Amino acid sequence: MGLPKLAPAQAAHDKLKALGILALNGMFDEMDAVGVLRYAVSDVLPGDLAIVSSFGADSAVLLHMVAQVDPSMPVYFLETGKHFRETLDYVETLKRQFGLINVHAIHPNPNDVARFDPNGDLWETDPDSCCHIRKTEPLEPVTEQYGGWVTGRKRYQTVERGVLPHFELTSDDRIKVNPLAYFSDADVIEYRQKHNLPEHPLYAKGYKSIGCAPCTSIVAEGEDPRAGRWRGLNKKECGIHYDFSGAIANPMTAANRHTLWKDGAFIADPFRDWEEGTNPSEARYVHVPLPVFLANRAEFLANPHPLGLLVSPGEKIEDAEANLSRFASIAIRFPAFSDGRGYSTARLLAERYKFAGEVRAVGDVLQDQIPLMRRCGFNALVVVHEPTRQALIENRLPEVAVFYQPVGVTEIPLGTRPFLRRVS
Amino acid sequence: MGRRTTASIWKTTGMYRYDEFDAAFVMGRTAQFADQVKRRISGELSEDQFRPLRLMNGLYLQLHAYMLRIAVPYGTLSSKQMRKLAHIARTYDRGYGHFTTRQNIQFNWPKLKDIPVILEELASVEMHAIQTSGNCIRNVTTDQFAGAAADEIIDPRPVAEIIRQWSSLHPEFSYLPRKFKIAITGSPNDRAAIRFHDIGLQAAVNASGETGWEVWVGGGLGRTPMIAKLINSFVPHEHLLAYLESIMRVYNRYGRRDNKYKARIKILVHEEGLESIKGQVEAEFAEVRGGVLTLPQEELDRITAYFAPPDFADRSDDKIDVAYESIIDPAFGRWLDNNLHPHRVSGYSSVTVSLKPVGGAPGDATDVQMDVVADLAEQFSYDELRVTHEQNLVLPHVAVRDLRAVYDVLVANGLAEGNNNLITDMICCPGLDFCALANARSIPIAQEISHKFASPERQKQIGDLKIKISGCINACGHHHVGHIGILGVEKKGGELYQITLGGDATEHASVGKIIGPGFEADQVPGAIEKLVDFYIAQRQGEGETFLEAYRRLGEAPFKEALYGTA
Ligand code: HEM
Ligand code: SF4
Ligand code: SF4
Repeated sequence: MGLPKLAPAQAAHDKLKALGILALNGMFDEMDAVGVLRYAVSDVLPGDLAIVSSFGADSAVLLHMVAQVDPSMPVYFLETGKHFRETLDYVETLKRQFGLINVHAIHPNPNDVARFDPNGDLWETDPDSCCHIRKTEPLEPVTEQYGGWVTGRKRYQTVERGVLPHFELTSDDRIKVNPLAYFSDADVIEYRQKHNLPEHPLYAKGYKSIGCAPCTSIVAEGEDPRAGRWRGLNKKECGIHYDFSGAIANPMTAANRHTLWKDGAFIADPFRDWEEGTNPSEARYVHVPLPVFLANRAEFLANPHPLGLLVSPGEKIEDAEANLSRFASIAIRFPAFSDGRGYSTARLLAERYKFAGEVRAVGDVLQDQIPLMRRCGFNALVVVHEPTRQALIENRLPEVAVFYQPVGVTEIPLGTRPFLRRVS
Repeated sequence: MGRRTTASIWKTTGMYRYDEFDAAFVMGRTAQFADQVKRRISGELSEDQFRPLRLMNGLYLQLHAYMLRIAVPYGTLSSKQMRKLAHIARTYDRGYGHFTTRQNIQFNWPKLKDIPVILEELASVEMHAIQTSGNCIRNVTTDQFAGAAADEIIDPRPVAEIIRQWSSLHPEFSYLPRKFKIAITGSPNDRAAIRFHDIGLQAAVNASGETGWEVWVGGGLGRTPMIAKLINSFVPHEHLLAYLESIMRVYNRYGRRDNKYKARIKILVHEEGLESIKGQVEAEFAEVRGGVLTLPQEELDRITAYFAPPDFADRSDDKIDVAYESIIDPAFGRWLDNNLHPHRVSGYSSVTVSLKPVGGAPGDATDVQMDVVADLAEQFSYDELRVTHEQNLVLPHVAVRDLRAVYDVLVANGLAEGNNNLITDMICCPGLDFCALANARSIPIAQEISHKFASPERQKQIGDLKIKISGCINACGHHHVGHIGILGVEKKGGELYQITLGGDATEHASVGKIIGPGFEADQVPGAIEKLVDFYIAQRQGEGETFLEAYRRLGEAPFKEALYGTA
C-alpha cells in the first residue's frame, strides 16, 4: 500500500531499517560524487566503509575523491595474478600521488590456484571459475568485515546499469555506495583533466576498460568501453559486483545520533539548517525559508544544487506553488506541537500540489502527534525528543488503527462507508 | 464487514449503533489514551505534554480534582448507556454527575488511575470522551427534540452523526487555534442555539424544494459574544462535509494563535470581515467540492436508517385533558402545561425531565435518578433519552396515556418539577465550587433564586423567562443569551454579579446588555425580583413575555426599576 511508512505496520525488520539509507537517493545532486562519498564516510558508515578498486582506466577519478574525503579509507586491490605489468605500476603511482595510506592487495589462495588453475589458462576454458578463485573467494573474508562498499560503477556503462542509484542495499543488508552513478564517460574525462590525474599507461593505447590481461582487449571507437573485457565470452559482470554473502556487520550502529526518521529508521541527514547570509546561488543541502526563497527566487532557481524549502506556520505554501518540484525536501515547522497549521500545509502539498518529494516535520515533533502527521502526508520527521525517538525505534506509536475521514492521496476510501472510513 | 452485528444488544431502533468499525475506533482510542495516562503517571509525559492529550479525551484538571467530560453525541442516550453513567457515578465518583450545556455529562471526582477503566466501561456501551475538550472539533450538539418534534423539517441526527464521524480524530484539525463547536438543528425554531456556535447549521429548503443546510459561522459566547453570520444559505447534504472542511481549513491556517482570547473563529470572522472569510472558504470549497468528501445519498440513507422512528403504536385517539387534570392535581397539571413538547405523531409527547428542583444544583443527577430515568425510557420512551443544552433530560416519545405513570415515578425521585422554560429552569455553570477559572460561585446563586421564586403560582404568573448564570466571563452558563443573564466577576477581592438583559439564543438571537453596576451575592435574588415585578407591571397582557416586553420598552425603564435612576 502506498501510505508513507514512517512506522512499518509490523515489527521493523532490520532490513527495512537499513533501507532508510536508500531514502536518500534523489536527495543528492546527481553529480555531487564527493558529497555522496563524504556523507557515506562520515554519516552512514563511519569506519565501516571500504573500496575495491581495479586500478583500471578510470579508477583514478574515484580514488582521487576518496583521497580528498578520507585518505585512510581501506582500498583493496584484487591482485588476481593476471594483471598487466602497467596496472601494478599504476597502483604504486596512484598510492604515492594521492597519499592513499591504506591500500591492500588481495591475493588468491595459492592452494586453489594450484588445484584449479595449475597451468594458468583457466580463463580460457572457464572464466567464471577463474574469476571465482581469483576474485570472489579471496574477496569474501574481506567484505565480511565492512558494512558497505564504494564502487565506481556508472549508469551509462551497460544497459543493466541504467537505473543505478547513489545508494544500494545488497540482499545481506550491506550498503553499496555509487558516487559516480551519474557520471558519463565525458564527465570522467573532464574530471581527470581538471585535476590532472595520472592516466593508466594502457589507456592511450586504446584500452578503455582494463581488467586482467588475458581478458582485456582494445575497444573500437564508439564501442561500449566494457566491450573490451571478456570479449566474446558473453560475460558482462564480474561476480564481485553482485551481492556479497556472509555475516552482516550492522551498518546502523552509527545511526543512534541521527535525528532524521525516514522509512522506518533514523538515518543521517544530508540537509543542514539555513544560515543567515548564505548566498542564494551557492546554497546547497539546506532548507531555504520560504520568505528567503520568495525574495531571491531567480537565484535559487538558477542554483543547480539540491535544496529544500522550510515552511513556517503562517506562511503560504501557495506562494511557491510553481516551484515546488525544484525542491528535494520540504520541511514544515512545528514551533510547538500544539500549533496545527503544518497539518494543513502538508495536506495541500500532497493532495493539491501532488508534491512527491520528502515532506518532513521539524520542531516540536512528539509521538502523540506523529500518527496525525503521517496521515496528512509527512514522510519524514526530525525528532530530538528522547521518548519519542524510543517510541519510533520500538514501533509503539500511540496509534488508532482505523479512521473515519479520508485524508492524503493514498488514503483511498475503503469498505462500506466509502466516503469516510478505512483501516490504516 | 458485516453491518449491525452489535445491534442485538439494542432493544429498539431510533439511534445510531456502532458497527465493528466504530467499536474498533473507540477501543483503539481508549487503548491509546490508557497508554498516555500510564506515561503521565510514570512521568514520561510532562503535564504540559499531557494536557492537550487529556483534554482531547475530556479530562480537565479542576479546582479539586480531575474532571471527566463524557460525550453524549447530539445529546442522545439509550437506557443502557444511562445506566452505565449511573454505574460510573456510583463506582468511580461521588454518586452523581452533572449534565452540561453542551449536552454532555461531567464527573467531578474521578481518579486519574481510574480513567482508563472508566473509558473502557464507556466503550462497552459505545460511549467515549473523545473531543469533549481540547482545541479540536467538539461534540456536535442539536435540538433535544430531534426526531420527535412536530415542527421539524428534517431529523438532524443523521447529519450530526456523519459530522461526528468526519470530525473524530481528524488529523488536520486536532490542533486548531482554539476549540470548535458545531450545532445543528432541523427545525426553524432554534432550540440548539446554533447562532452562538462556531458553526451553526440550520435545515433549509431551497427553491426547488430540496432540503439542505444554511451555514452560519463565527458565533460564540465567552468574553466576546458574537452572533453567527450567514456564510452560505444553502449547502446540499452531499457537499456539506466538503464545505465544513473548507471552513475548518481556513480557520486552522488563519485563525489567530497569538492570543488565546482572540483565537476563536468568531474573531477571525469579525476582524477579517464575513465577505473576506466567505471568499476564502468558497475558494477552498471550489477545490475540494466533488472530491472524496462528497456524501453519497446511499450513505446518508444508510445512516438515516439507524434513526428511523420507532414503530409507534397507534395512539392517535388518546387525549389528555390538561384543564381537568389541573383541577384534580395542580402539580401534575403544571407539569403537563410546561414540560411537554408537541410530538410529530399524534397521541405522543416529548417529556422534559427537570434537573432543576428548587434549591438543587442545576443539571446534577444522582446515580439513582439516572437509573430511574433509564428505566422510564426503556418502559415508556422506546429506549430513548436526550440531554438538553438547558441541562435537563428528555423522554422523547412518551404516549399520552403513559404520562401519568411517568410523572408518578418522577415525583417519587425528585424529578417532576413542572418548571420547564420558567424562571427556576436556569442554566448554571459549575462556578467557583468546582471550576479553576471561576471568579464567583454560581450554583448558590441559582439555588437562592429558585428559593425566592419557588411558588408555582408565581412562576406561572411570570411565564417564559430564561435566567442563565456564569461564574466568569467564559460564559459556560450562557449568561449572554439569558433573558436575564448573571455573570460572576471579581471586584476588589470580593464576588460581584453583573446583570445583563435581553439575551436570546434562538433564531431571533441577541446578546444581553449589562445594565449597570454589579450586586453582592445576597442582593441578586432581590434584584431579579425588581426586574420581574417591573415586567409584570408593564406587560401588555399575559401573552407578552419578559423578552418581548424588554424589546418593546428598551433598557432604560428596566435600569430605572433596578437602580432607581435613569
Ligand atoms: C469546570 C470546568 C470548565 C472549564 C475550565 C471551562 C472552560 C471554558 C472556557 C475557557 C471557555 C471560553 C472559551 C472561549 O470562549 O474561547 C468556556 C466556554 C464554554 N463552556 Fe466551559 N468550562 C468548564 C465547564 C463547563 C461546563 C460545566 C459547561 C456546561 C454546563 C461548559 C460549557 C461551555 C460553553 C457552552 C461555553 C460557551 C462559550 C462558547 O462556546 O463560546 N463549560 N469554558
Ligand atoms: S578477469 Fe579473466 S583472468 Fe581475471 S580472474 Fe576473471 S577470468 Fe581470470
Ligand atoms: S463560566 Fe467560568 S466559572 Fe463557569 S464553568 Fe465556565 S470557566 Fe468555570
